[in-house]
Amino acid sequence: MALRRPSQPPDPDAPLVEARGVGVTIGGTGILHDADLTLVPGELLAIIGPNGAGKSTFARAICGLQKASAGTVKWSGRDLSGLKGRELARLRAFVPQRAQVPNGVTVADAVRIGRSAHLKPLQGFSADDRDAISSSLKRARMDGFEDRLLSTLSGGEMQRVQVAVGLAQGAPVLVADEPTAQLDLGATAAVSKMLRRLVSEGLGVLLIVHDLALAAAVADRLIVMSEGTTIATGAPLEVLTSQLISEVWGVEAELVRHQGRSGLHVEWLEGDPAGGR
Amino acid sequence: MTSRQIAVLISLLVALAAAIVASLALGAVNIPFAQVVDILLGRDAPGPSAQIVEVLRLPRTVEAMLVGAALGVAGALLQGALGNPLASPDVIGVTGGAGFGAVLIIILYPESIALLPVGALAFGLLAAAMVFVIGFTGPTGGGIGRVILAGIAIASLFAAGTAALMAAYPDRVPSAIFFLVGGLTSTGWETLKQLWPYFTFGFVLAAFMIRPLDRLLLGDDVAASLGSKPRTIRLLSALAAAVLASAAAAVAGLVAFIGLVIPHVVRLAGGTNNHTYVVPVSALGGAALLVAADTLARTIRAPIEMPVGPFLVVLGVPLFLWLLRKAV
Repeated sequence: MALRRPSQPPDPDAPLVEARGVGVTIGGTGILHDADLTLVPGELLAIIGPNGAGKSTFARAICGLQKASAGTVKWSGRDLSGLKGRELARLRAFVPQRAQVPNGVTVADAVRIGRSAHLKPLQGFSADDRDAISSSLKRARMDGFEDRLLSTLSGGEMQRVQVAVGLAQGAPVLVADEPTAQLDLGATAAVSKMLRRLVSEGLGVLLIVHDLALAAAVADRLIVMSEGTTIATGAPLEVLTSQLISEVWGVEAELVRHQGRSGLHVEWLEGDPAGGR
Repeated sequence: MTSRQIAVLISLLVALAAAIVASLALGAVNIPFAQVVDILLGRDAPGPSAQIVEVLRLPRTVEAMLVGAALGVAGALLQGALGNPLASPDVIGVTGGAGFGAVLIIILYPESIALLPVGALAFGLLAAAMVFVIGFTGPTGGGIGRVILAGIAIASLFAAGTAALMAAYPDRVPSAIFFLVGGLTSTGWETLKQLWPYFTFGFVLAAFMIRPLDRLLLGDDVAASLGSKPRTIRLLSALAAAVLASAAAAVAGLVAFIGLVIPHVVRLAGGTNNHTYVVPVSALGGAALLVAADTLARTIRAPIEMPVGPFLVVLGVPLFLWLLRKAV
């Protein structure tokens, strides 16, 4: 942005995201405290944790969608608080959990809207913008769907459009909040493969995910959250020990990986006097 | 743009052009179309026909275009900003406020009737400002439900004031009716000379809100991801709509229907919800409909002029219902 006062330049050696001691208070209630996270290029980092652990709040605070009451967040070395809307939009794309599916909007329209962060008000799309739009559709495997209305898509297709909208922002980081939560097995696998492919192309992906077996399979690294803070991080098999699962989720379970397949062996009914047999 | 959207655009342009020519040519005195064109191009000798077209009809036609376009745009902005198909200038209090402001002048200060546009404009904007203060301030402000409920409450307040004035001075009510149902008058350029800055501000701000409203279409989170603040988009869009609708009320009274229905007609006919299409085409559609309806209102029982409001409804409702049934 040549017209703006030059702000702090991005630091190529800094991590894509560095969050330290982030806290969020909503209406006097502390939702999040002392949460930390680092994301580097070409990494898929998954945030896992029970319902209410603060996963979404943390991701939204990092992305500037939720006001933080404490801590610092840096995007490529630049402080979040000093970034203007359009600058931030080029540093990270946020893919929300529940897609809003408006009537009368085509796939191409939606991805064009995603590109609009690159335009000044009233400015039209350049050839570069058009290229970015069509490559976003291709990378999300939604090319050929351009003229379809969003309201006619399946859940998995809609989720891929959401990712394409995020990719059109041209940001080095994609933050996705539970993109597979409402998808069936096949669509979940398709979205997971797509995210892995994007990571191999150099994108940093921050994924909030519920399913521990899925998180272990797709993520390079996990961050575990419990009761409003980050409590552990590391490679999936090192972090997701039976002891940690028992402490955080209160369930006896074991993560099993074998020949590229992952699963969670869960003692579903053990320990409950009514359910035990 | 799809071929269907282009067809809708061209039809509306043709309809507007036809309505403008009819509006300039027809009336208590009918002037041949060719002569109207000559007068506009300055090729006709000065005379009574040129006087009628230039002094009486042209300002009125321009007023009708501006008011129709302003209301179409205001409705499109509000429906997009509030994500609600029932939104129109009524829901941010403008209609109720402008009605009160006009009736106040008509009933309490009939000797200062020249102040009517000022009263309508001022109270329309005052009502909208009250809605914005209640709906958009505070940590939880800016929610759609809160804005709409604040708007309905404030509109009721001003409607009660209007009703009280009418009840207190029943003998003066007839002079207020023309304003309350919406009607244009042939008063030359005076009103527009006062109000053009408001129309300009409203249309320019609306143009800047088109792309942010498209982002809002994909949800607040996507808009935020793209660096926009949903609350700011809603507030600025509603502000543009409030200014346009207040200025429109100052010119033509409470012309209902265009603000609510024209954007829906454009969406249904064009098969798209994109504001890049809906906002400008709603301006075109609103202008065409109001110019056509006003011509009808002036000529159907000439030389008596009827208020335009009811004619709009007669022209617009069948089209709207037909589209509504055709839509899936």
